[in-house]
Amino acid sequence: MENVATDENWKTCFSQVAPGLVLFARQWARSSADAEDIVQEAFVRFWRKQHDIANRGLLYAAVRSIALDFLRRDNRRARRESTAASETDQTVQPMFEIEDESQRALVAALDLLPNEQREVLVMKIWNDLTFAEIASALEISQNTAASRYRYALANLKKNLPPI
Amino acid sequence: MNDFSEIEDKLRKLRPVPPSADLMTRVERGLAEARHGESLHSGKGSTRLRERPVRLGPTARQASTAGVLPRERRIHFNWLPLGLGLAAAAALVLFARFQLERPVKKTPALAAITPAPAFSSPSSTAQFVPAGLTQVVYHTRDEGLHFRNNSKQPMRRVRSHTRETLRWRNPTTGASLRISYPSEEVSLTPVSGQ
Repeated sequence: MENVATDENWKTCFSQVAPGLVLFARQWARSSADAEDIVQEAFVRFWRKQHDIANRGLLYAAVRSIALDFLRRDNRRARRESTAASETDQTVQPMFEIEDESQRALVAALDLLPNEQREVLVMKIWNDLTFAEIASALEISQNTAASRYRYALANLKKNLPPI
Repeated sequence: MNDFSEIEDKLRKLRPVPPSADLMTRVERGLAEARHGESLHSGKGSTRLRERPVRLGPTARQASTAGVLPRERRIHFNWLPLGLGLAAAAALVLFARFQLERPVKKTPALAAITPAPAFSSPSSTAQFVPAGLTQVVYHTRDEGLHFRNNSKQPMRRVRSHTRETLRWRNPTTGASLRISYPSEEVSLTPVSGQ
């Protein structure tokens, strides 16, 4: 992909990354509208700094940073952040188009994941980021990113009801 | 990792809900504003951004003029330095005011402080009103008994050194004028023998 700043058809570029970005932002936002606000601000900021869109780790780091700021702005959200830090948070729900009961159960199992595992999973599965990019976005090592991913899958497997 | 391939497949089949069309419009507006801001504020040579501006499609142009405004931008104030600055300024003003209004320190009065003399000031200080006269006796010496010429009654002579300070004040401007000078005073007190 080209640089966002020089991409004439930025819509194509944005439409490719927007669903994953909104899903990623949704982990910290209560509503899709808030998540879209976060993505909008992050994307415009990213564009203004003329970062290379190929540097997706940076783009996701921008979304994450703005999402956390967004969370801190409001006291209620700050309280929510403290509860989100706990591993039993059930308030943040990714948005998916659910087609059957097995997918509903999968989404429910996703909600049970700790934030640090879920964000790695979201970046890996629905945004196709490499572990190097995830590590860059989250400022962790690649090994940590990979192990969080494995833990997330293991937890999902454990929490999913047997078919 | 093979243990998780099945669950990875299931996860990949989950499709995130696509973002609203409004998001695209808002981002478009945000980018347009950012581009406008860059062209306004940047004094440097042209960048690739300005050389190759983003072309908007017809629907996007319609949307951008359809009154769909981006979410209100929040202005962040850093209140701490502002508050500290204001507090410092207020303290400075109070301190200056206190310094200006602080009364002049009076020297310990060994003698009496007399009321202001009732005389009019010279023409140059016509607006100055007498504010007080202070006499400070800082040295007194008893010179013993003396007999004045052709007098049989002895008199005790006491010589005292004083400093007199006259003060005027202009009530309209608050300015004050002070004149201070040394003086010597000799007093003779008759002494009656028993």
